Amino acid sequence: MVWAGVMPVFSQDSETRLSSDAEIDRRFQLRRDWILRTAVSNLDEADASRGSVLDVAAALQRGENRKAALARLARLNEAVPTQNMFWMYPMAAVMAAGGPALDDASWKRIAELWRTYWPSRGDTENHWVMYYGGLYLAAQTWKESGPERWFNGRSAQENRDEARSYLEHWMRVTTSFGQGEYDSPGYIGEYVVPLALLAGWCDDPLLRQKSRMMLDYLAYDYVIEHLSGQYAGAHSRVYPRQLLQPARTTAAALGWLLFGLGDRQMSQQALLLAMSGYTPPPILERIARTPDRPYVERELKRTRWRMRQAGSESFVVGDKRTAPVYKYSYVDKDFVLGSSQGGLLQPIQQQTWSLRWRVDQPLDASNTFFGLHPYSSPHEGTMYFPMSWDTTTDTIVRSKVDYDSPDKLAGGSPYEQVFQHGAALIALYDLPPGTRFPHITALFSRDLRNTVEDPSGWIFSQGGPVYIAYRPLVPGEWRPNDWTGLLAGGAGGFISSGFKEWGTGHRCYVSTAPRNGYVVQVAPVRDFASYEAFQTAVRSRPLATATNPELEVSYTCLDGSRLHARYGQAPSVNGTAIDRAHWPLFESPYGVADRGSQRLELRYGIERYVLDFQRAVIEHSFVRP
Amino acid sequence: MNLISTVEANQSVYKPRMDTDKHGFWRRAAFRQQGDRPLASNPFLSVLIRVHPWFNRGLGRMNVVFTTLVLLLGVPMVVVGAETAQLYAAVGMTKAQKNSAVPTDSGLYRRERDGEWRHFGPRILGIATVAGQPGAPGVLLMGSADGVIRSVDGGGTWRKTTGWQVADVRSLAFDRNQPNRVYAATLWGPIRSEDGGATWSLAQAGLTELYCQTVVADRSRIHRVILGTADGVFVSTDGAVTWNRVPSPSTTILRLAQSEADPRLLIAGTQHRGAWISRDAGETWVATDPASAAANLYAVALHRRDAAVLAVGGWSQGVRVSGDGGATWQDRSAGLPVRNVLVLAFDPDMDGRLWASTFEEGTFFSDDLGRTWKSGGLYGAHGFDFSFLPAPLR
Repeated sequence: MVWAGVMPVFSQDSETRLSSDAEIDRRFQLRRDWILRTAVSNLDEADASRGSVLDVAAALQRGENRKAALARLARLNEAVPTQNMFWMYPMAAVMAAGGPALDDASWKRIAELWRTYWPSRGDTENHWVMYYGGLYLAAQTWKESGPERWFNGRSAQENRDEARSYLEHWMRVTTSFGQGEYDSPGYIGEYVVPLALLAGWCDDPLLRQKSRMMLDYLAYDYVIEHLSGQYAGAHSRVYPRQLLQPARTTAAALGWLLFGLGDRQMSQQALLLAMSGYTPPPILERIARTPDRPYVERELKRTRWRMRQAGSESFVVGDKRTAPVYKYSYVDKDFVLGSSQGGLLQPIQQQTWSLRWRVDQPLDASNTFFGLHPYSSPHEGTMYFPMSWDTTTDTIVRSKVDYDSPDKLAGGSPYEQVFQHGAALIALYDLPPGTRFPHITALFSRDLRNTVEDPSGWIFSQGGPVYIAYRPLVPGEWRPNDWTGLLAGGAGGFISSGFKEWGTGHRCYVSTAPRNGYVVQVAPVRDFASYEAFQTAVRSRPLATATNPELEVSYTCLDGSRLHARYGQAPSVNGTAIDRAHWPLFESPYGVADRGSQRLELRYGIERYVLDFQRAVIEHSFVRP
Repeated sequence: MNLISTVEANQSVYKPRMDTDKHGFWRRAAFRQQGDRPLASNPFLSVLIRVHPWFNRGLGRMNVVFTTLVLLLGVPMVVVGAETAQLYAAVGMTKAQKNSAVPTDSGLYRRERDGEWRHFGPRILGIATVAGQPGAPGVLLMGSADGVIRSVDGGGTWRKTTGWQVADVRSLAFDRNQPNRVYAATLWGPIRSEDGGATWSLAQAGLTELYCQTVVADRSRIHRVILGTADGVFVSTDGAVTWNRVPSPSTTILRLAQSEADPRLLIAGTQHRGAWISRDAGETWVATDPASAAANLYAVALHRRDAAVLAVGGWSQGVRVSGDGGATWQDRSAGLPVRNVLVLAFDPDMDGRLWASTFEEGTFFSDDLGRTWKSGGLYGAHGFDFSFLPAPLR
């Protein structure tokens, strides 16, 4: 039985018990106002070198600091742009949000730039969404204009039609098969900005509605795996700093704006979202703050489009190939352990699995633990990038300097297979001869305490309220992170910026055996009387490992489940093979979505919030208890 | 003599008066360009177009009438001799690219008579090739990461003619027997156009791999197309409506070329499998040059008049030349600063001149089949393609 009506005050959470929709909205508006005021204050009438394009847009929208805003905009628009879609969306924001306050000179220059500057569409999913989101809004401004007014020789109507077609395609694919550039703590912002533009200012009611729904969708995708505002679990793309300081991300900044999670942070993406007028549905904050943890979140994502070497696991959407990504996260109130199945799921910046633990002041914490095989190969580059075999690695390194470094901390590997059940995880690696970096790495961050190498072969450690046990199949050695000195030496520009602050003091456990793996067991401190008790419990669990002739692990984890993983075969729990063929698009106590459905249902208590993209409808209701 | 209008018409001869509206958009005073209509290349004609809209409407398909009319009227016109061509290089300037995913410059460069290279057309990332429509003055197509970009006025104005579905266009091939038909190889599958590149449709039926970066329109047989994919060579005999795989190396075909001297002769550079030759117009293929049999050969070229002269280039391979139809091969890399060669082409006007584009170390030419090389400029470029297009004569 379902009925629609006024939201009752329903929560078991002490904080949200008092949080009516109105109260949630009041708090959101306060945070939103802080961001907007901060943006406006970045502009200085006496100094036209200060402030971003979005700061200008915010000032014009609020009718504050107009003179400084126009002066700054004139300065920013003096040179021919070079930022492609990163130029398009902020300029579209100025036009949409600040249009009535722009003077004739500003309009003239903006129009001239849209006519003469040819921004590239780029080659990633986020590039395209930004490109077409910005293009739609810009074309909407001069909707009757002809092809002579546009850089690409297409009329405003043609540009809008193309943009709308792509954006609707992207939404359809994402809500059917999962996002390709999934769950990125940084790049989530590059999806939020075009969607915020469209949700805020799109003149087409249907596209505006779908864009608002996609913002809800992405926000849910984030909150269901967050910890202290940090985007936890497995990620498609992460940069070194984001790996080691997980709260210094756009996701965390958005989490603060939308739900008050974590520490207060400013970001350009949050600013544009604040300007757009988008307000998250209150159910998202209730889910974000739920006390009912732990739970298991399963998600289906997909790889970036594979142009060749797509592999037998790939499938076709339209005329492009992709492969499924099976995500699994164990979300506790004190930690999140999350993983994907391993493999080359994304080019170059993948994080296959990670552990995060709760910290009271997350902003500068290195509350993270993870492992990987540092793979680098033209095989990966040519699978995903429009580059040739011999130039792809070189080209990648020019913007992602750590990609071809043996001490890198991000990236997928075709020789990695990962399997998680609850708070335990097994990873196996079979590195063939000739593998460029024939070792595996586990990152022990500087925030870990009481790390001990036990004679049993287990390495025990403690991260805040979490105990960690790590058992390599073949022992390794300790090395400092960044042992090549690549990032410490300042390579890569922004990638290594501030390295001394965030990149030092960590260490890696490195094993060079070509057939190897490890078991990870995590437990909250609250479940044990002492650290010793945890160690004793782990030691007592049945564990059998082998590297020859088969590479396999059998382990009975702390919850009593018998896990078995053999390289190249489906893993099992209590003798039952994991069924990945029926992996859901979303599945947890707070949300469900079936593959191909274009429909996500959020649940909190008796509250239901359904995003139906086929009908472009939101259904908000309450079921009888 | 073949007469076509070119970019020079708009850039140097005719500069329409521009007004701006309240938003600063330029408004052409002479006439408002719409769609693919060519811009008038002289003021007289622009007035004619303004006065007679019916004439303007049909102009895009009336190039012969257009040029004939102009000649009859005695109006000075830019003409082009078919016997001369200018070299265009599609490049990305990657040498100086640091801490960025974006080259410092990219697009088409044209080699002027003085040997200088000048940027041509819009600056778009990932421009990989350019082609001119046979017999259609001023119609140019650029293949780019953003899709196909088309000009009908020799490069004065450009229009993207593909939608979001098309990306990473690497090769363009007009069918000389049916010049309105053009094929494009993209990294996401081939496409084709029946109207000179104004509109496009997918052409994927029968392919086992969509990835392709090289295509040849068989000039000896109408409707016949040879496509290099990530799974070897495919041939279509119905204008790319359907494809069939032919016996060929099961690897990515990096570059195909058909001989001007003997249309039955084709050569393919492959990934990891060296060079392959076909002597039956692409139906069967045999490996050639055992010394580079495992190499990545990005470049192939065939002498325009002598079918026995072949050249290939690749990564760590430099330039290799055969003068006996592929029976034997010689390394002709001495004098090049690097052995990473990505593009080769024989000059149509300079008999036997061979052009080579290296990876970031410049462009070079040789007038003795690679025995000696001279610098041709474009230092720092990552070359994607050479094209020879008719050059303007005044």
